[in-house]
Amino acid sequence: MERFGIPSDIVSIYDFYEFAKGVWATTSPILPSSRIETVGIRALRISRDLKPTTSFLRVVGMHARKNVVVLDEDQAIPFLRGGEIGGVCGDMQGYVVVRTSRDVLGCGLCRNATLVSQVPKKYRPEDSWV
Amino acid sequence: MRFEDYDFIPDFEEFIRSIEIPQPYWIRVNTLKISEEALVARLEAKGFLLEKFPGLNAYRIVDMPVKHPGATVEHSLGYYYVQDLASMLPPIVLDPHPGERVLDMAAAPGSKTTQMAAMMNNSGTIVANDLRDDRIRALAGNVDRMGALNVIITKGDARYMRWGVDFHKVLLDAPCTGEGVVRKTPKQVMPAMKDHKRMSRMQKAMVRNAWEHLADGGLLLYSTCTFNPLENEEVVRYAVEEVGFELMDASRNLGGIRYERGAREWREWSFEGVYEKVVRIYPHRVDTGGMFIALLKK
Repeated sequence: MERFGIPSDIVSIYDFYEFAKGVWATTSPILPSSRIETVGIRALRISRDLKPTTSFLRVVGMHARKNVVVLDEDQAIPFLRGGEIGGVCGDMQGYVVVRTSRDVLGCGLCRNATLVSQVPKKYRPEDSWV
Repeated sequence: MRFEDYDFIPDFEEFIRSIEIPQPYWIRVNTLKISEEALVARLEAKGFLLEKFPGLNAYRIVDMPVKHPGATVEHSLGYYYVQDLASMLPPIVLDPHPGERVLDMAAAPGSKTTQMAAMMNNSGTIVANDLRDDRIRALAGNVDRMGALNVIITKGDARYMRWGVDFHKVLLDAPCTGEGVVRKTPKQVMPAMKDHKRMSRMQKAMVRNAWEHLADGGLLLYSTCTFNPLENEEVVRYAVEEVGFELMDASRNLGGIRYERGAREWREWSFEGVYEKVVRIYPHRVDTGGMFIALLKK
């Protein structure tokens, strides 16, 4: 969370566990059961790099101080639909917190001055949205 | 005629008329992320017309500008859950508190799990269990969307699963034949007697496993969304007479909800000692689906 300048006292209320190709954030003590599928919500995906998840950024992203892209309200739905938006990244590169003046929308990727939505398909609209 | 031998339902003809009427949508505000007032203001500004049920975080959608109530930015952001009012009542009766350890034995798709997470203000532990991968994916998706950070999801058969710890409270919203959602699925084929008996056996095994995982004095909330007494009062009778639970009054915390008591008898079965303390929610009493609720103490 250093990338986003989120204060440590915001993040320190969670415990983090690494398993199933991810880092999971929870407020709960862990259980002895061996049949655990998830613990809290996934904070990071581990692949070639560490990718912050939209669901965790929606929890802590309002405290981000850097690598933040602020969209207008009318850009929110195109972003949530998984689209790309030009002209909003400035000189930022890599993963960013994407928000409007009142909501944290999720994770985006600034690449070649274009914001690419990282919102998972399960959160995307299927038909007419408001 | 459907439900023709469910003569224990009061005002039966009115009940039959009510199930012909499509069920309205209800929503619950996710207070982990937004206040009720703020969400209502946002949705009303978009053209929603909402009617609050007095005293509850439950809003009936009277009118909306979209085909489905989930087609909004606010839904994607996890600010609300589309959940029938009747489905909100089991957690309200169980009343989980912050810091407690709670087991949700058959949790998918997660409406009650995420409701309890909000009631507990994301503290303590909710172990949310289900059996099938597709159901667990749906559950995990809703836990993510709602920001329910105190939820641990496990995969196992609720009849036999061992969690390795005791719980203060257990919610068993049991798999059932689903007669109570007839307003949402009017073409649903009515279950046969053998279906009710098979389901009842499975529900009893889950109740017995709930006993094994409750701390002394702990509470079990047993609920179904079906009307048949073999899946309801008979399972509660078993829990009391053959497992050892003490039956509590399930009407606590229901406020202005217009509920009925259970079936006193049905066919050759008698439910004396049970029917007086359980609660049934009927669509001709409240504009919802059907629900059966019992509260048991170890």
